[in-house]
Amino acid sequence: MSIQFKSILELKSMLNSKTISSSELIEETFKLTKDLKDLNCFVTMNEDSAKQKAKQIDQGKYKNNSYLTGIPLGQKDLFCTEGLRTTCASKILSNFIPPYSATVVKKLEDSGSITIGKTNMDEFAMGSSNETSFYGNVHNPWKRNYVPGGSSGGSAAAVAAGIVPASTGTDTGGSIRQPAAHCGITGMKPTYGKVSRWGMVAFASSLDQAGPLARSAEDCAIMLNEMSGHDLKDTTSLDVEHTDLLRSINNPIKGIKIGIVKEFNLNDLDSKIQERFQDSKKLFEKLGAKFIKISLQNISASVPTYYSIAPAECSSNLSRFDGVKFGHRSKNSNNLNDLYIQSRSEGFGDEVKRRILIGTYALSAGYYDAYYKKAQQVRRLIKNDFESAFETVDLIMTPTSPNTAFEFDSKGAQNPVELYLEDLFTISSNLAGLPAISIPHGMVDNLPVGLQLIGNFLREDKILNAAHVFQKNSEFHLAKPSLEDF
Amino acid sequence: MTWETVIGIETHVQLSTKTKLFSRASTTFGQNPNTNVNLIDCGLPGVLPSVNKEAFYKAIRFGLAIGAKINQTSIFDRKNYFYPDLPKGYQITQMDLPIVLGGSVEIKTKEGTKIINVTRAHLEEDAGKSIHDEFDGYSAIDLNRAGTPLLEIVSEPEISNAKEAVAYMKALHQLVTFLDISDGKMSQGSLRCDANVSIKKKGETKLGTRTEIKNINSFKFIEKAINFEINRQIKELENANSITQETRLYDSMKDETRPMRSKEFANDYRYFPEPDLLPVVISDKELKKIKETFPELPKEKLNRYVDEYKIPDNDAKILSSSKSLADFFEVSLENVEDKGLLAKFLVGDISSLLNKELIEINESNLTPENISKLINLISDGTISGKIAKVILDKTWKKGSKPEEIIEKEGLTQISDDKEIKKIIEQILKENSNQVKAYLAGKEKLFGFFVGQVMKLTQGKANPKTVNSILKEKLKK
Amino acid sequence: MDKKTVTTICYLARLKIDKEKAQKIENDLEAIIELISKLQNIDTSNVEPLYNPLEKTALKHNDVIDSDNRKEKFLDNAPSSNEDYFLVPRVME
Repeated sequence: MSIQFKSILELKSMLNSKTISSSELIEETFKLTKDLKDLNCFVTMNEDSAKQKAKQIDQGKYKNNSYLTGIPLGQKDLFCTEGLRTTCASKILSNFIPPYSATVVKKLEDSGSITIGKTNMDEFAMGSSNETSFYGNVHNPWKRNYVPGGSSGGSAAAVAAGIVPASTGTDTGGSIRQPAAHCGITGMKPTYGKVSRWGMVAFASSLDQAGPLARSAEDCAIMLNEMSGHDLKDTTSLDVEHTDLLRSINNPIKGIKIGIVKEFNLNDLDSKIQERFQDSKKLFEKLGAKFIKISLQNISASVPTYYSIAPAECSSNLSRFDGVKFGHRSKNSNNLNDLYIQSRSEGFGDEVKRRILIGTYALSAGYYDAYYKKAQQVRRLIKNDFESAFETVDLIMTPTSPNTAFEFDSKGAQNPVELYLEDLFTISSNLAGLPAISIPHGMVDNLPVGLQLIGNFLREDKILNAAHVFQKNSEFHLAKPSLEDF
Repeated sequence: MTWETVIGIETHVQLSTKTKLFSRASTTFGQNPNTNVNLIDCGLPGVLPSVNKEAFYKAIRFGLAIGAKINQTSIFDRKNYFYPDLPKGYQITQMDLPIVLGGSVEIKTKEGTKIINVTRAHLEEDAGKSIHDEFDGYSAIDLNRAGTPLLEIVSEPEISNAKEAVAYMKALHQLVTFLDISDGKMSQGSLRCDANVSIKKKGETKLGTRTEIKNINSFKFIEKAINFEINRQIKELENANSITQETRLYDSMKDETRPMRSKEFANDYRYFPEPDLLPVVISDKELKKIKETFPELPKEKLNRYVDEYKIPDNDAKILSSSKSLADFFEVSLENVEDKGLLAKFLVGDISSLLNKELIEINESNLTPENISKLINLISDGTISGKIAKVILDKTWKKGSKPEEIIEKEGLTQISDDKEIKKIIEQILKENSNQVKAYLAGKEKLFGFFVGQVMKLTQGKANPKTVNSILKEKLKK
Repeated sequence: MDKKTVTTICYLARLKIDKEKAQKIENDLEAIIELISKLQNIDTSNVEPLYNPLEKTALKHNDVIDSDNRKEKFLDNAPSSNEDYFLVPRVME
């Protein structure tokens, strides 16, 4: 019986009914990774330990049978995994073996899940096409030579190709939701602070948040239940009670109010993408939702705000990659300054360099007020807009991305800003720290299209409830790529 | 031409917390290299800082003691620069909202007392240590010190000469040790300063160009470094040269300051609020508790020593002026009957040893156990005051226990009447001429006989017993 | 963004740009700065910056040691080390 394209719940019931053993499941999973090697979803495999853990599970070592016990997962290569190489898809960390594991990884592994490998991504999560990885492009499972989106491209493609039922991702400006949209799966960025950032290599500290990519909203809820929680090691993690997200997931959504953002001019989008959006709106209406026009006055400033803040924080966060304590050290250096400059210049790719330089510029004397501080002020205005909007609506609905996946090397090559503008719909929830999901809602020219639902602070329950009810009443999330090109 | 000097001092005080400012690794000094280092101190990818409560409480204690404003909400910032002993490529410090704002310190010099205003004091993490001269072709990095909490105290430029600078540093030293916020061990770098020195013509209001002398870590060097720098600047200006604004190092071997290898570009530290740390808030309740548990300061100690232990005023003054000495006294006296003798010993023999080596008692080999034992051995007559000095000398050098020294060297006082009588009889027999002279009225010779007894017993004979037996024997 | 500014920020960031890519990078930076300069059109007078989406305060940890010595692991990960130290080319002070 094939395990490909199965959800967490489906695999779990196969394991529970002993239709398959944990070891067989892991065996099959690794077979899939080999058959679909061309997708280039993984940077590093964890075959031996994964098989060993599966064996232990079969022998009954994991007494607490959680939803995830025995379930194979991919971990984005941005999470530190003790003893397992962690590269952030960068040359500079090509030999880095962390002496500790990220809290997210530890929590998921403690719940019995099995890490099968580290998924490919944009270098240090900087990019939205997975084309900046030192380890090569990831292909979109729906169409060879098309991008899977990014930065969590490998995580999205591995789920979309049915290799694993779920994987972890990180989202700084859309890095979970946009690849989920491009690959036709469900991906969620939680509220800032819901999931610990300990052990997740920082890109932009005040924007980064880890979350799940899976085949359904329900599976996302299962993943998020395990991933979230207060962590003393991350003082920006929220010290609040995290309610079981499955509890209210089946509630009827009759009467929920969904906001449509006045300032997003959807008429500019491809007409077929507009059609998908209108169709989904109708489906929600049929399910009892009410649509209300809302205004997010400063939303058009979110892209420039993001591209002031994120590079500034990244320029500082990436200073520790200096060739002294870990990572790549250039062989072409005989003094300290050379060592820094050569190691970093050899170790980082162009996009990372670009962002470090912009961030360095934005923080340097004379520009700090004009760029970094100004952006943080605008950020407050954007957050205020959301706060007033959520006084009248439960959720806000937008497309996830203005386009479907594009061909390799077709965007941003001439001007990086072209690619940055793709983030228009996703960026603002990172700036405001709000939770948001992308769910698949149909195809345009044989490529998936994503729909985004943004919720209020810590209202993952409302988002997942709406998304799950939508998925119970539609079949978009069940679509599978043929994978005949691979 | 008459010149005036303007000095401002930035002091780095290592706070005596058990753990680091942003991690829970130990701060113990003198451990093997790179052993007091955890994931955070090593700056590994993915790690995050968390704030040490005690470091804040200690900083606040300082602020309260100098009458400063305490910012109950303070923010950490990143100061970005590359250096091998700075693991993250940035230092976490406080820029716009330091924990302590304002306040002042009173200093005493021969000219009298003066108030030096403090601009601010903020918390920041120390860097690791770079060792440049131990390995051929390499600098070696030890991260044990990385992350140790520092309180950087910035003075207003109100210090007028090297003597005042020393007095200011001594005042700070006394404060931070009595407040129990630092061990004050300058030899271990617990208190070190950067001095900003400039000169101007007398009466001129505009400040001259300043130079910064980095990392001075002894009172002696502060005075020497500043005086050298003042004279250098005067010479430059009198030769119609100008002063370059630069950072200089004091070389104590050559007694001179020289510029540090200057950078090709001016540093731009790109400060911005540390995004991994939310603002730190000290509640009213916490502040109240800090005020309620304020440690005893020198004046209070002085009064207590005089009242409770009947220590003479002068001795009590000296004991209470140094935290380490006062602590030593207070621990030792628990087991000592004759508190006055203990005080006298600490203020006398021990203080002169400390002054000779310019160290604090907690930097020496002396321990309260050994000294209280020594005092008790004097009081109960086991050893003489003279032998006590011999023992002090040995425990000073090696920290050995008095009773062990006595046993090893056979220094116990001879108080046994019979034994002393035997020795005296022998001496009187060997010096019959002197005995005759004494009996004939040359009473000065009494001291000669005592001396002979001491010589023969290597000073171990109990002087009281010797005196009384001698008097008896010489009566006839 | 002139050549001198690019040189300065490259030095601050300890990055070197290949000659053949220099023009492209300069153009890219120029385009990004043009993008972020749009912020200047927004009135932010009297607006407090929002440095973190959580408007909360930090938890403080107790001053209790909790650390194991992982010296060997740390030094193993270093590109150059001896049994006690991380090593870099000698620095002159």
